[in-house]
Amino acid sequence: MIIVVLLQVFLFNNLQMGGICTPMVYILFLIALPKEVQRWQELLIGAALGFIIDCFTNTLGVNMSACILLCYLRPLLIKSMTQEYERLNGEINSDSLGFGVYAKLVTILTFAHHTTAILLESFTTSHLWLTLIQIVISSALTILLLLGYELLRKR
Amino acid sequence: MRNLLQLLSKYSILLMFVALEIVSLILVVRNNEYQRNAFFTSANVIAGWNYSVYAYFAQYFNLREENRLLQEENIQLQNQLLTAKNELQRVIEKKDSGYVSAELNKHYISARVINISSSKRHNYLTINRGERDSLKKDMGVINCYGVVGIINNTSRQFATVIPIINTSMQLSCKIKNNDACGPLVWNGKNYRYANLTDIAKHITVNQGDTIVTSGFTPTFPEGIMVGVVEEVSTPQGSSYHSIKVRLAADYKSLGYVSVIADRNLEEQKKLEGEYMD
Repeated sequence: MIIVVLLQVFLFNNLQMGGICTPMVYILFLIALPKEVQRWQELLIGAALGFIIDCFTNTLGVNMSACILLCYLRPLLIKSMTQEYERLNGEINSDSLGFGVYAKLVTILTFAHHTTAILLESFTTSHLWLTLIQIVISSALTILLLLGYELLRKR
Repeated sequence: MRNLLQLLSKYSILLMFVALEIVSLILVVRNNEYQRNAFFTSANVIAGWNYSVYAYFAQYFNLREENRLLQEENIQLQNQLLTAKNELQRVIEKKDSGYVSAELNKHYISARVINISSSKRHNYLTINRGERDSLKKDMGVINCYGVVGIINNTSRQFATVIPIINTSMQLSCKIKNNDACGPLVWNGKNYRYANLTDIAKHITVNQGDTIVTSGFTPTFPEGIMVGVVEEVSTPQGSSYHSIKVRLAADYKSLGYVSVIADRNLEEQKKLEGEYMD
């Protein structure tokens, strides 16, 4: 978890492509949490990780709220996406789910997380178009990075 | 009663989710008020320390640029020294000892920027000086190009600064050659440009005019460079110009900054506060 925080804070928060988007890859840690983790534990872990990231970026509550949403949705989505939920064990990744299902999971969770985080960060409805573009581009970038990492890991 | 307990345990995860979300939303809302808790921002010691280690290594990557800036600043300082000497000469000649310039109450504290965000609506930067170096809230921050921002929060060793490129920042500015005043605000789009508002239609504004601080707030003395007019347009039916200003400070390459410490800041604020409340 420390590694994830350091990577996010010092590397990815500085990758601001043209001032429009910031990939938030730290959510991989939450997506990959083992299935054995209880749901209440999962919610608390999400809240803690989001809070730590917020401390570094001066956006108290923004990432926290987005991470809690992600952690709430994750088990529900996994359950609805696979038939053999009972047989799953260990970390959630493309080995246990299959790449297609995993990609779908990552896409939905990332989009939910980024939408919440960016909307809360801007905290206003003016410049709505800019915010929407920011959400789409940031999500696309994060999804690409996460799936790219998954492909490399399987090599 | 039993049914109620059963119901609660059935929805306990949902309830926990809602409770946590409410906590985080309260944090967001409270955080948007200006009173930010210094402990949970990047001015706090752990995060601040991490950032200063990071900045220590990162600074080697733009040494060349820093050197150039230092040289420019050096030249400016030499120029100021020269004018000061002239001034002194004149004062001595006049034997005018009853006059003490307001400038004498100010001095500069140099600081290094150790963290900055420029892609959000509410951007902040963190500098490596704090209460230990007698920095206080509302002091102005500049670099050799011009105004950077205003100190928002301090801890013992660090301080956070609201730059011009934060949508909740308003800086009182004027056009240098005709003294027309108005607040400078940022629209949240491009970190290179901000908008000067409230300049009435009858005032002529040209492209290339210099925008400086007005000196109406105690934070900045009068006449510090803010930016240059890039584009002037007058929207139909509006009685004000819409002025796009190219900011003098480049928020993507901030290294060293100076904090203006004014001995009279608190006195003036206290006096004015009596009317505001």
